[in-house]
Amino acid sequence: MKKHLIAPAFLALASGIGSTSVSAANLTLYCSAQEEWCQLMARGFEDATGVDVAMTRKSSGETFAQVKAEEANPKGDVWWGGTGDPHLQAAEEDLTEPYVSPMREQLHPWSIAQAESAGDKTIGIYSGALGYGYNTDLLAAEGLPEPACWKDLLKPEFKGHVQMANPNSSGTAYTTLATMAQLFGEDEGFEYMKGLHANINQYTKSGSAPIKAAGLGETTIGIVFMHDAVAQAVAGFPVKVVAPCEGTGYEIGSMSIIKGARNIDEAKQFYDWALSAEAQNLALQVDAFQVPSNMSAETSDKAPDLSSIKLIDYDFKTYGSSDTRKRLLEKWDNEVSVLPQ
Amino acid sequence: MRIATTERTVHPVLIFWTIVGWVGFLVLPWYGIDEGFFRFEWLFDGYPMDTDHAPAAMLLAMGQKWWLAPLLLPLILPLFVLNRRKTEPIYAKVLISAGAFGFGWLIAQGFGIGIRGWSFDWLEALFGPLDDRQFGMGYGALLLASAYLFFFTQGIAARGAVNGDVFVVSSIGGVIAIVSIFVFFPIAKTLLAAFITEDGSYSVAVFLAKFFDDRIWALGCLFGGRCGVAWNSLFLAVLVGIITTLLGLVFALVVTRSGFRYKQGLRALTVLPIITPPFVIGLAIILLFGLSGSVTTWVADLFGIRPTRWIYGLPGILIAQVLAFTPIAFLVLIGVVEGVSPSMEEAAQTLRADKWQTFRTVSLPLMRPGLANAFLLGFIESMADFGNPLVLGGNYDVLSTEIFFAIVGAQYDQGRAAVLAIVLLAFTLGAFYAQRFWLGKKSYTTVSGKGDAGVHPQMPRRLSIPVYAVAAVWTAFTVIIYLMILYGSVVELWGVNNTLTFKHYITAFSLRLDEGGIRWTGSAWDSFWTTIQIATIAAPLTAAVGLITAYLLTRQSFAGKNAFEFGTMLSFAIPGTVIGVSYILAFNVPPIELTGTGIILVVSFIFRNMPVGVRAGIASMSQLDKSLDESSLTLGANSWQTFRGVILPLLRPAILAALVYSFVRAMTAISAVIFLVSAKYDMATSYIIGRVENNDYGLAIAYSTTLIAVMLTTVGLLQLMVGKTRIGRRMDHGSGG
Amino acid sequence: MANAVIHGKAASVSFHNVSKMFGKDVLAVDDVSLTIEAGTLVTLLGPSGCGKTTTLRMIAGLEMATRGRIMIGDKDVTGLPATDRDVSMVFQSYALFPHMSVIENVSYGLKFSGFNKAETRDRAIAGLDLVGLTQYAERLPSELSGGQQQRVAVARALVLEPQVLLFDEPLSNLDAKLRRQVREEIREIQQKLGLTVVYVTHDQEEALAVSDRIVVMRNAGIAQIGTPRELYDAPSDAFVADFIGEANLIPCSVDRIAGDMAEVSLDGYKTTLSARGLPVGPAILAVRPSRVVVTRGTKSSGGMAARIEKATYVGSRMEYTVAADFGQIFATVEDVDTAFAAGDEVTLGFEDRGPVLLPPS
Repeated sequence: MKKHLIAPAFLALASGIGSTSVSAANLTLYCSAQEEWCQLMARGFEDATGVDVAMTRKSSGETFAQVKAEEANPKGDVWWGGTGDPHLQAAEEDLTEPYVSPMREQLHPWSIAQAESAGDKTIGIYSGALGYGYNTDLLAAEGLPEPACWKDLLKPEFKGHVQMANPNSSGTAYTTLATMAQLFGEDEGFEYMKGLHANINQYTKSGSAPIKAAGLGETTIGIVFMHDAVAQAVAGFPVKVVAPCEGTGYEIGSMSIIKGARNIDEAKQFYDWALSAEAQNLALQVDAFQVPSNMSAETSDKAPDLSSIKLIDYDFKTYGSSDTRKRLLEKWDNEVSVLPQ
Repeated sequence: MRIATTERTVHPVLIFWTIVGWVGFLVLPWYGIDEGFFRFEWLFDGYPMDTDHAPAAMLLAMGQKWWLAPLLLPLILPLFVLNRRKTEPIYAKVLISAGAFGFGWLIAQGFGIGIRGWSFDWLEALFGPLDDRQFGMGYGALLLASAYLFFFTQGIAARGAVNGDVFVVSSIGGVIAIVSIFVFFPIAKTLLAAFITEDGSYSVAVFLAKFFDDRIWALGCLFGGRCGVAWNSLFLAVLVGIITTLLGLVFALVVTRSGFRYKQGLRALTVLPIITPPFVIGLAIILLFGLSGSVTTWVADLFGIRPTRWIYGLPGILIAQVLAFTPIAFLVLIGVVEGVSPSMEEAAQTLRADKWQTFRTVSLPLMRPGLANAFLLGFIESMADFGNPLVLGGNYDVLSTEIFFAIVGAQYDQGRAAVLAIVLLAFTLGAFYAQRFWLGKKSYTTVSGKGDAGVHPQMPRRLSIPVYAVAAVWTAFTVIIYLMILYGSVVELWGVNNTLTFKHYITAFSLRLDEGGIRWTGSAWDSFWTTIQIATIAAPLTAAVGLITAYLLTRQSFAGKNAFEFGTMLSFAIPGTVIGVSYILAFNVPPIELTGTGIILVVSFIFRNMPVGVRAGIASMSQLDKSLDESSLTLGANSWQTFRGVILPLLRPAILAALVYSFVRAMTAISAVIFLVSAKYDMATSYIIGRVENNDYGLAIAYSTTLIAVMLTTVGLLQLMVGKTRIGRRMDHGSGG
Repeated sequence: MANAVIHGKAASVSFHNVSKMFGKDVLAVDDVSLTIEAGTLVTLLGPSGCGKTTTLRMIAGLEMATRGRIMIGDKDVTGLPATDRDVSMVFQSYALFPHMSVIENVSYGLKFSGFNKAETRDRAIAGLDLVGLTQYAERLPSELSGGQQQRVAVARALVLEPQVLLFDEPLSNLDAKLRRQVREEIREIQQKLGLTVVYVTHDQEEALAVSDRIVVMRNAGIAQIGTPRELYDAPSDAFVADFIGEANLIPCSVDRIAGDMAEVSLDGYKTTLSARGLPVGPAILAVRPSRVVVTRGTKSSGGMAARIEKATYVGSRMEYTVAADFGQIFATVEDVDTAFAAGDEVTLGFEDRGPVLLPPS
């Protein structure tokens, strides 16, 4: 008796799980920003154009791994969001398609510069400066001075209070390493990293983990992108954001069309739309505090004001290439990470 | 009354598979249907003439896909032996050659010709360019492949393999085929990356260079420095294996050998951690024991010491993993502890052993298979665990996280990931063989065919006191953790703003009733229903494959059994991340195209979780006297009927364990899932991770709490459905002691 | 009540040069040929490890012969698995399915033999009736005594009306009294239904009691086949003589052969026996304890002087250990009223039909 009931129920369940969903005008979007923003971009594009968007959200590293694995038979069309390094890497490995959008004239020069450095295979959609945040409660409880510069973090009283990600696993931390190499010159930059190493309590795996730990009171200071720190503060955690006085590097959140995209027209349509001010303004609705690449798009008033931050002239061409990355990471592994703490 | 099959020239099984083969070839679409496996729009969309939806026969008739033509021959051949006797050599010969050739050709053409014509340069060089191509295989190919496979196994059986038992030979063939396709093939594809040089050629030197890396093998921690990830993982896994086995045993003893009244409650509690989505336990532990955690601060205030980050590193991972994996040990051990024949224990007592001696010399040794299996599972789980080391690992690096970040991190070094995966695999293999060695060839049969009316003795006092103490402490700890989690889901911002609110639940699970019926407006519904659907499909399939495999391993002997057993354990031993990437690499291109579907999730769950079904099945089955099967066979039941009528009913605890485990793991798995989810098939865990990354701890925890409730209910329902095995042992404990 | 009747469908079993290897080097059964007539109860008897159980399992199809041919009736079953043979087996451990009630256990095999539900039940009841357990139909095996479980196992095998019914040491888990009772029941049912039964035991008394014929096995081969009487009275060698019942094995010498009779001398005692093909020379004299004649005092001729070493009263008879020049002799004497005591001087003799001449070992 039971058997007769179970079998059809099982079939009913099973029907449906085999489908990949393909109909009229479609777009498969790989999204590497936060969930809400991704949802909003997908729905926004659907509303604006009537194209059905199938969106998958994964971190930029995961998306890169997936795009690479799918190389022979790509399933995605557009990869939107996430820090620029994996996009540049994808461009270098010829996983993405060059495209020059008619929207380019509306963009900030840093965005176009990045696109050109990658042979037009990727483009900047937002940028965010590197910095750090600290937990105000903990800082007060420990009676520590408020840090304001990169060099402040080297002070002995911060020993065991600073957290950053491991550059081997996190793009954020690699950006930190590359920033120091550019800000202080490579030799002095590594000296800085060695000094910092003495104060680090943990190298986390994920890039934004240090500031989350700071929010929860698990570390005093976390080195992250400033918009991540702002998000933490806005969420209600006792976090204060610092734009280091010496100046700092930045990331460019990017977008690429995947090579061999099945819906290349819709992909380009999305690409153009995503560069418009209207699309970039959607960020305001989801507490995204990056700076949009469209010059006429608005920036959240809570976002760190890029004009008041000393930004270095970040060399994406050099520091985004896999050769430089490999060399710097190896050097960090051999010279910094092995030091006693 | 019985008609021996040699007399027969009618072979129902062969006829069945012949028809299946022909249907696959003549009727059903040969290639995969884009709309999906269970969608039938193709029936009205140009079928059978449209190339995308045409059956193989139609394609050939239209002069396309000439390489499918040879498939016809092995389909025709078996028709000639339908009226032959099994014992005639021609019967076996024809079936074996037809099956082998058909299956081989099917595979060869599938791999040889892909979406860009020839898949290999040497094929192009040999035959010249091919201006045709093909996509992934569909229903037709699936049916035909099964038909060929079972032609082959029937041929082998007819030649007398495994006593000519068609069911057993076919099961072995079937399991080998699916394990090869869904475990060996993808994993081999990934592990090959360890040997690939930067310019794309293969080299052992590359492997060796990456293998003998100080970051993997350094022994610095013995001298105050850092140890390599390999040693870290090994040390952690051994600790976790031992502790979870002991704790699992403690709980199994409390449930089966004590007068403790609230056994069901305890059972539910021990099962809680297994049904908890990843990261949640880690977060709770941080809020309790972290630098600003309540316990840490309280202790620091009490003793006037500075709070430290002691939890980050080995202690944190250890606590979280022991919390998470003890239930697995418990599930394995409960069946074994219950299964130890009371009369053996009674025998020991009559031989002047006191309760403690009985326990030590009889009960405990008889539980060996359970203990060994529990340890092995704990060890492997710890090795492959990814969520806990990520959250609590501090600077204590382990293989699983290193593998993950070698793939997705700033290095993009798949070769290193493959090398690390090989190291991990080597450890697992080592543990596997150590277990085999320890169990040796002793017999642990305790359920014999004689009705056994004994009663399990109570635990000896010397044992019961520490057992109760440990169980109590651990129970209290678990309860606190879960109260914290529950609390976390109903406050504004966990750890910062403690105002009570239900807003997280509302965001995730709100509904609206309007004229169209229920509108699922909450943000979590999509992933929630997908998760339930996928888990519900995966669980029974996992249990079935697992138990059949266990049956083959314990009850049948055939050549290559050890390799077979190892193969079935392989997917479990490899971290989910590697499986995830392997699956994309293997199943994103023809002949088997599965990415983006729900099937790939189901398949990955089946093969990730099947080993637990296998282990639980083996542990229980090695306690069933073989004469039970034999008497069923001599009573005229064939091996399938024996399996269904005698073994399965006696294996209910193992079935329940396998069902529960696979259902729950499908709902809480994350590492493989990250790579396999797609827009349409998003899973709860990947949604939860998205929330955690976005600082929405409340929402993540509220979702997790809901999942926990759902799973608890399901586990309860399963327990009711599968029921208890009725073997008539007296359930009450003798009052005489 | 049940209107089904259980019949026998007895068939013969024959082995033609059958061998069984386990692995590469364990020879469990070595080139055995034998025939078991339809409708007879044949016992495979021998010490542990002699291959008797393996032989039985080869009839069942639970082990496959490595070499040779096995026939049941006129059908070659050598390659057939257990399922496809018309054979039932009663296991030493009974192998009752613990999760099924008695009636379910008995019906189990019927389900696979093409009976409908009503027939299955009728037959199962008939089977239980045959072993007198109808009232326990709904119980679980664990709720029955050992003897009852045993009978359920028999009923379960019987209802299938197998061509051959196999028993693997079926009585070894029962107490002595029950053992006698159950073995009589088995024999009774076998004779009533005319079944072919193959029965493995290591208990020679059990074998003698139930068998039509006994196959004595030793070292993977057959030592002797015969009726109980033949084996007891005319064992083919010292092994069989000693294994079937008790026997005093006394070295002797054959002095002269005359026709088919042999003149045997033993320590001055001379007798004439059936030669059984033995040549002149050393031989062994096998004498059952009950065939030894013990008389008081020393006689001048026709006997051997000996002395009682131990005398034991066991109720129905006296048991003596007697020391003679050639060694010890064990003797049983019905006369308990004029018993000897230890130390008494006696004369030993053998009854006419008593001693059997065996080849020297």
